[in-house]
Amino acid sequence: MSLLPYLLRRLAQLVPTLLFIAVVVFLLVRLLPGDPASAMLGDRARDADVARINHDLGLDKPLAIQFLYFLKAVATGDLGTSITLKLPVTTLIAQRVPVTLLLTAMSAVIAVVLALPLAFLSALRRGKEADVVIRGVFQVGLSMPVFYLGLVLLTVFGARLGWFPVGGYGTGLADHLYHLFLPALTLALSLSAVLMRNLRAAIIAVVGAEYVDFARAKGLRARTVMLRHVLRNALISTVTLFGLSVGTLLGGAVVTETVFAIPGAGRLMIDSIYGRDYPVVQGMTLALAVLVSVTFLLTDILQASLDPRVKR
Amino acid sequence: MKLFQAAALSAALLVSASPAAMAVERGGVMTYGRYADSLFLDPVLNDANVDIWVLSNLYDTLLLPTDDGQGVQPGLATAWKISDDAKTVTLTMRDGIKFSDGTPITTEDVAWSLTRAANPKNGIWNFLVESIDKVTATDAKTVTITLKHPDPAILSALTVFNTAVLPEKAFEASPGDTDEAKAKAFSEHPIGSGPFMLQSWTRGQEMKLVKNPYYWDKGADGQPLPYLDGVTFEVIPDDATRILKLQSGDLDGAEFIPYARVSELKSDPKLNMMLYPSTRVEYVTLNVRPQVAGKDNPLSNEKVRQALNYATNKEAIIQIVTHGVGKPLTSFMSSATPLHTGDKPLYPYDLAKAKALMKDAGFANGFSTSLLVLAGNQDELGIATALQQMWGQIGVKLELSQVDNASRTQQYRDGTFTMRLAAWTDDIADPNEITSYFAYSPTIDALHSGWKNAEVDTLYQASQSEMDRTKRAADYAKIQEIFNATGPTLPLYETPYPVALAKKVNGFMQIPLGNNIFRATWLQK
Repeated sequence: MSLLPYLLRRLAQLVPTLLFIAVVVFLLVRLLPGDPASAMLGDRARDADVARINHDLGLDKPLAIQFLYFLKAVATGDLGTSITLKLPVTTLIAQRVPVTLLLTAMSAVIAVVLALPLAFLSALRRGKEADVVIRGVFQVGLSMPVFYLGLVLLTVFGARLGWFPVGGYGTGLADHLYHLFLPALTLALSLSAVLMRNLRAAIIAVVGAEYVDFARAKGLRARTVMLRHVLRNALISTVTLFGLSVGTLLGGAVVTETVFAIPGAGRLMIDSIYGRDYPVVQGMTLALAVLVSVTFLLTDILQASLDPRVKR
Repeated sequence: MKLFQAAALSAALLVSASPAAMAVERGGVMTYGRYADSLFLDPVLNDANVDIWVLSNLYDTLLLPTDDGQGVQPGLATAWKISDDAKTVTLTMRDGIKFSDGTPITTEDVAWSLTRAANPKNGIWNFLVESIDKVTATDAKTVTITLKHPDPAILSALTVFNTAVLPEKAFEASPGDTDEAKAKAFSEHPIGSGPFMLQSWTRGQEMKLVKNPYYWDKGADGQPLPYLDGVTFEVIPDDATRILKLQSGDLDGAEFIPYARVSELKSDPKLNMMLYPSTRVEYVTLNVRPQVAGKDNPLSNEKVRQALNYATNKEAIIQIVTHGVGKPLTSFMSSATPLHTGDKPLYPYDLAKAKALMKDAGFANGFSTSLLVLAGNQDELGIATALQQMWGQIGVKLELSQVDNASRTQQYRDGTFTMRLAAWTDDIADPNEITSYFAYSPTIDALHSGWKNAEVDTLYQASQSEMDRTKRAADYAKIQEIFNATGPTLPLYETPYPVALAKKVNGFMQIPLGNNIFRATWLQK
């Protein structure tokens, strides 16, 4: 298996990508109107206070110098200290990113669990009642705004029926998973709708392909044909789509975390952008970029194992 | 020589009389839903309401505000005396007071804490105690504050969060080279003398406070306060979720109930929908500079500002935006601010008068202008669209520009904005803070509007060392009269703090300054 050189090549590509992201985010946050001191002190800030705080933060130095300081710190694993929360950014990442990661992973699992069997059912009963019902339900899931869907689920399954907690994150892994179920489901519904439709179309296309006819003609059992030939080939495009969707999931997590009162990275990111908390925005963006890149990498590896042509 | 003690004591007795009539129950933890987490629990260096409004539960001050937010009552100090020349304040400390770690509170701790609060290099609140020249620990029970000039607001200032007493030794022993670095370390495990102490804090999620066993005050049953074993703050940014959690019994209280939900929650049999009197005022700030961004600015004309005021149907906005919860302003400062004057709503809706004023000002055909609105803020958007429609009737074309807070603050501070929506809450039970920002031009150019009135500036300066309350009230009456008639704001409404509490919660209080007071809160079993 020649996976290792491929992997190393991909990892090496990550370095310039991250450096590029670092430069872009460093400049972008500073291009935003306002500065950390006035964002922090608000409308009542006096000029002297704003100037003093910006000086203490080193924000009165030239951009190039600031960037060099930033790079030097990052190289030693120091992402700086949050201006508003007064905590090291690495601490914040360690606290918040796993929460979002767990939420995203859980919704990815739910999305796949929902999409996979239903796509098969829908494709094989194409145009029949089951197909229409499944596609109809997912269409609703896809078109409902995340915050509204979240509130509906919270009201019905949390407040009314009492099956799930009404928001929050809880303590301990089991409790976290219990608290995250409704928000993960909220996030998963739209993703599973996309995956389901994509996979359904792929299955329909593959089922009609000649090699599947050939497999059947060889006398292979229907089950073997489905798993070895149809599913494997139909999954290739869906896996790519799935990998790309993880970025979207992270974006959707921002809204979900607010509605469900989950102390995740999304909420911190939004607060930090509003607060012009440069170090947090920079550090979190880098952390999320690493996360998304790793997801893409994993997706590619998975795809490579499904489709040998990729590994060239 | 003036003795404030008797008056303050009787005021304190008055306010504590009603809860004492009920049999209190001890124990339990109250869970309170907040819209946002605290940021920095240092009394001097913090800069946001999310900190200020909970700090008094952790850190005690020499004096305490009365429940109506207007006066002072004894805190860590039991008596106070202002010298005849009003330049010395002598305070007598309470016997046997201790910090939450059991160490005694010394007068040196007090002197150090006040000196730190008044240091102009520390934080943004030092202006509230700028009159302090020197603080001395005269003896084991007496603290003497020497003032640079007589300060009529000094006693109120000693109730404000930034004058809280911290243990000097523990603070100075915290790791770090600077005051700020030490404050960061210290505030992770703060030691104060408030009714509660910090037990744990999961940022963005939950903050747990537990009863301070050394708190000095006694409850209605003669036992030490607080009644509660603890308070847990849960951070639930989404309004709808916060209310759902309250209704499902996960929370005992929830702050910032949206106005639209107030009447619904009022009729919920399991809840008490509280509307605590507040100092919060909502208004439009108008840039009055002759030119803004190189163009002539009609708002520099006093008559135009008055016309916009008359063309604004405040009652309608109060109905649309606050669902009837707010009330029209009678001065630029809230009616809960001491020395507020005015009993009639400012600029009652009068379209004919507005049109006449526009004509007088030479704008019979109106003009185009713009308003900064906080993106995503439904209340502001509601006000803005109402204004757009109302001012259309006098020919004023209003363009709305939705921006985020930091962008707006930048334009505001640079003086390049045309109009913006804004809200204000007092931090001190005195009119000096709001007046300094709104009307006294040296502070921030009167809300960065460029408005300047020599008489107001002189009156304000005089009032800052005027010890005769009647004279000071007269100064403030005049300031308000001038500002309300010619000033750079368009007053909209004042609103209470909407807090929903489970029926079992008793004795909770949010005072007009915003502080959430849990010291005498108890839960019915």
